[in-house]
Amino acid sequence: MSTAMNFGAKSFKPRPPDKGAFPLDHFGECSAFKERFMQCLRDSGFESGLCRERAMAYLQCRMDRQLMANEPLEKLGFKDLIEEKSEAEAGKL
Amino acid sequence: MAGKQRRSPPRVPHASAGRRPPHRTPRRDRPGKAALRRAVSRAVPASSRESRALPRAAVMALRAVALCRAASQPYSGGWAALRPQVRWLRSSNPFTRRQEEEWRRRNRTVLAYIAAAAVGMVGMSYAAVPLYRLYCQATGLGGTTGAGRGAERLEEMRPVRERVLKVTFNADVHAGLQWNFRPQQSEIYVVPGETALAFYKAKNPTDKPIIGISTYNVVPFEAGQYFNKIQCFCFEEQWLNPHEEVDMPVFFYIDPEFAEDPKMAKVDSITLSYTFFEAKEGQHLPLPGYQ
Repeated sequence: MSTAMNFGAKSFKPRPPDKGAFPLDHFGECSAFKERFMQCLRDSGFESGLCRERAMAYLQCRMDRQLMANEPLEKLGFKDLIEEKSEAEAGKL
Repeated sequence: MAGKQRRSPPRVPHASAGRRPPHRTPRRDRPGKAALRRAVSRAVPASSRESRALPRAAVMALRAVALCRAASQPYSGGWAALRPQVRWLRSSNPFTRRQEEEWRRRNRTVLAYIAAAAVGMVGMSYAAVPLYRLYCQATGLGGTTGAGRGAERLEEMRPVRERVLKVTFNADVHAGLQWNFRPQQSEIYVVPGETALAFYKAKNPTDKPIIGISTYNVVPFEAGQYFNKIQCFCFEEQWLNPHEEVDMPVFFYIDPEFAEDPKMAKVDSITLSYTFFEAKEGQHLPLPGYQ
């Protein structure tokens, strides 16, 4: 890994995650959301871009159950999805 | 006196060296008492008399020695022969003596300044390490480079749809850890600038709780700097109860600057590999970025 003894070669330096570590979901509270996300991935040929709504739903589930720090989803890179949703809701109303 | 050349003191024959008695200068050639007093006052350094640096007994001893020397040696060679043997304290030229002392004083000051500067540099190099750590804590940089790794960047990030990258997942477990750890998808296709979610699964098949801690690796190494994890399960102790199975998500994105890096032009596959180790009680692992 990064403990290779070759001084000339570049080594990999692991970085800590930006927002820390996910607490473990011991009780499987968000497993249903996860299953839906995985199903979407398998159906779409493992294309991440097509399953972003389900990913957003999973993260929202985690936030609701205190398994993730509460943060507006725009800050997690889902800004376009939120805008689409709000536009759709505004359109409906 | 100033113009006379210094001559070496004349050799005095030892009393037992020859059969003839030692040569004594005739009375008329010997210096008078006044001349002897002058010679003694020259022999003893003036500073000792003025500053009383030498104890009184030493001064008197010096005077006695000088007197004996002056009396026993035939008077020849001028006043220079009666000067003390210590030569390095004073220069032979009394007119330049003051200037030389001034130069010497100035040299000593300069030397002191230079020595102080050298010691200061060494001290600064030692102090730089904790100071830099303080600075990083104050400004929150923490050693990270790259412009704006904040939440604002995540918000403003625009996906680069032209580059599709395949991210492969790999899971490893240290030999001492009895977990079953595997990814739930072998690969996903992402674009730089878009956040993606992936899952790993870990199961503890044993009858006792085990704590694990993981680290990760990204291959190729150069692409690893563009691989940003927003949240994951690494570098923190994860407790698994007996016969428990959990999903471990990884929420990450690839920096949009990846598309602009010419070195990354040929890269279209990135492998993310996690390795779990057992965290024993009291074991302190060096975690990057923390502490």
